[in-house]
Amino acid sequence: MNTRVQIEIALGILFISITATILIIVGLNEESRMERFALAQSAQAIEVGAVLFEINCSDCHGSNGQGVPGLCPPLNDLNFFENRLTDVGWSGTQEDYIVSVVSSGRATSTRPEYFGAGIPAMPAWSEHYGGPLRDDQIRNIATFIMNWEATAGEAIGQPALPSEPVGQDITIELPEANPARGEGLANSQGCVACHISTPTGPAWGATASEPAIGARAATRFQQADYTGTAVTAEQYLFESIVLPNIHVIAGFAPVMPETYGQILTEQDMADLIAYLLTAFE
Amino acid sequence: MLKTENLQNLKAKAFQAIDSRVRAITAGLDLEELRAVLRGDPPTERPNPRYKVHTTSFIFHIRPRYYEKGSTIFTHTFRLGFFTSFFFFIEVLTGLILMIYYTPSPEQAYQSILDLTSNVPFGKLLRDMHRLGAEGMVIFTVLHMFRTYMTGSYKKDRSFTWLTGVVLLGITLFLSFSGYLLPWDQLAYWAVTIGTSMAEAAPAFGNEVNLLMRGAPDIGTGGLLRFYLLHVVLLPLAAILVISIHYYKVSREHGISLPASMEEGDVPAEVKKNAKQKIDFIPDLLTHEVFLTSLGLFLMVVIIIVFGYSAPLENIANPQQTPLDTMAPWYFWWLQGMLKLGDKSLMGIVIPTILVLLLVGVPYIDRNPHRSLYKRPLAVGIGILFVLGLVVLSYMGLPEYGIETPPATRIVQDLAPEEGTGPLRQIPFEQLQPGVYEVNVTPTTKMCPELDFGCPQLEAVFKQYSDRLNEAGQAGQLPDFSAVMIIEDWQQNLKKVTPRITWFDLESGQARVYEQHIYLHHDRLGH
Repeated sequence: MNTRVQIEIALGILFISITATILIIVGLNEESRMERFALAQSAQAIEVGAVLFEINCSDCHGSNGQGVPGLCPPLNDLNFFENRLTDVGWSGTQEDYIVSVVSSGRATSTRPEYFGAGIPAMPAWSEHYGGPLRDDQIRNIATFIMNWEATAGEAIGQPALPSEPVGQDITIELPEANPARGEGLANSQGCVACHISTPTGPAWGATASEPAIGARAATRFQQADYTGTAVTAEQYLFESIVLPNIHVIAGFAPVMPETYGQILTEQDMADLIAYLLTAFE
Repeated sequence: MLKTENLQNLKAKAFQAIDSRVRAITAGLDLEELRAVLRGDPPTERPNPRYKVHTTSFIFHIRPRYYEKGSTIFTHTFRLGFFTSFFFFIEVLTGLILMIYYTPSPEQAYQSILDLTSNVPFGKLLRDMHRLGAEGMVIFTVLHMFRTYMTGSYKKDRSFTWLTGVVLLGITLFLSFSGYLLPWDQLAYWAVTIGTSMAEAAPAFGNEVNLLMRGAPDIGTGGLLRFYLLHVVLLPLAAILVISIHYYKVSREHGISLPASMEEGDVPAEVKKNAKQKIDFIPDLLTHEVFLTSLGLFLMVVIIIVFGYSAPLENIANPQQTPLDTMAPWYFWWLQGMLKLGDKSLMGIVIPTILVLLLVGVPYIDRNPHRSLYKRPLAVGIGILFVLGLVVLSYMGLPEYGIETPPATRIVQDLAPEEGTGPLRQIPFEQLQPGVYEVNVTPTTKMCPELDFGCPQLEAVFKQYSDRLNEAGQAGQLPDFSAVMIIEDWQQNLKKVTPRITWFDLESGQARVYEQHIYLHHDRLGH
């Protein structure tokens, strides 16, 4: 008959051996577990970065990083991942470049002919430079942006213009218009960001003191303080889009980009004007 | 012949040399005695050399020479005190190693936990053990205390030991609580913010206490450093000191109490005599303790590796964003429950102080000399009511009790909580078929005919979403609602899920919309 002491010694040895076996198995799998965790960690950084990008960056760079012409460049195209570092003479990695630019901002744009409107070109986002974001948040945003690299080849960066840009001569004859297409342009060109969503520019819809954009366009060029050259409602809208600073409405700053004449075609312009004249009552 | 004699001499000499080495190492046991110990044989010499160890060895001089047989009955102590100290040693050992990898600053603390998990072999196991040991230590301290109360072991000459036990309960809770902040994740930050804000309720000096703990109006660099130093220096030192006193009283003064029936019960004299029989520390108790230790280690490793216990780690602390359903650590839920009942100072400070004083005063308030459960019904009744009260108060401390979350927010939060996983994030990545799924329009079965094996988990989550919405709709919480769940391909290996609920708000007379954007990456853990 075994004594209690002997039984406990036997059981203790059994427990210790099982524990040791489990630990050896765990040890053999540690390498792959650590790799898996590191992978999950960057996955989480991308998820968190996506949320931060949506809140802080998408207004300007587009919800999918496609950019807003005249305002902010696309971040999901081949140009950004292949040419940007040489354009700006950056010697580090692309991710470091993103972290640096997001943290401290940019005073001037790389391609002011396309995206030179904002002053400064890019605000500083780091809390060290007066922005709202912590360092780890900025790194997460950079990880999220870097995740576009794999699909950047398919993304069309600066779209080739289908025909000649419309230019700044507001007296030219415009083709027949399609207001529905104009609505699409208002969204894709980012007009709505300032003229509907935020009070940066005059709202298109009717307000308490002002009628809608169509009615305003029809009367404004006849007012005494008008400083432009338009003589019809269509020309007034044309002029406001391609030469926005020729007549700035009181209470608003001259911040609208002057580049739309190089971006929009004659057809685009006709469609946009038709949309603005008819869509808002 | 001479040669053999020399050889024999040599053998004897060698044996003697080894024997004296063994004696030196075991602090008094020679080779033969050691074998007798391991075999469970009686001592080979007189006086008993196994007692000598208790005077010559530092480690063994702290331990008693024997326990009384009655006090070692398993159902009397359940080894609760032993396991409490077992967990304390686990905490010290794992904690010392974890300290090597940890940096106590808000900029680096969270990253050091990530590095520990992704770059240190056995790092995650260490952290899991440290966390499991902390929970175990709190649980076993409370159980140990409850056992002591129920067996009336705090009476007479054990009253001071009870007092040191109450102090140790406090030290244990604060050790655990101070460790809570160190990972610097959302769970840590907000649990400690809530915990320290309870101190604010104290009249006159509450604000100062809060400031002293946090180091600033909000927890930051100073607060983290204070909690770190409390956790790794001050509280462990205090614990070692008070544990020493507590244990010294038990081992040197009064021993472990006998079961009440054997001490004061109406039992034959030989039973009482039998209960007082000595059980020697070496070998019986020592083997038992080593056995319990190996059992404890085995169970901890099994709970972590086989049952997948994992120390929680949420997103990095964000002082700007309080997550929904923020809670104090579970052992303070009762306090949160009390705070919901009434005035902050009364419920948060005055009553808890009275409770602590009552705990301290138990041996002096309870003058009943008997220890048997049947001879002190009042004390036993109060003890059980006290525990039930704590359980009920803890339930009332949960966010489900007494805190109204708008129904649309609640439904989405239950599917995909701000912190943690939730059913939506558990859907396998392949099953997140892009599309617009409309509640009460899209059928909840066969949602992805294009996939070979369908998407049962997506269907289950969508069904849960629909059911919860319909319930809320019928209960009048979401009048005239319509809801969708939109799944989009967002980036390479990244999908975006948008639950959007629209309803007619009776109060404002307007349509209201609630939506959440949840991003899910292919490589996330928890699918």
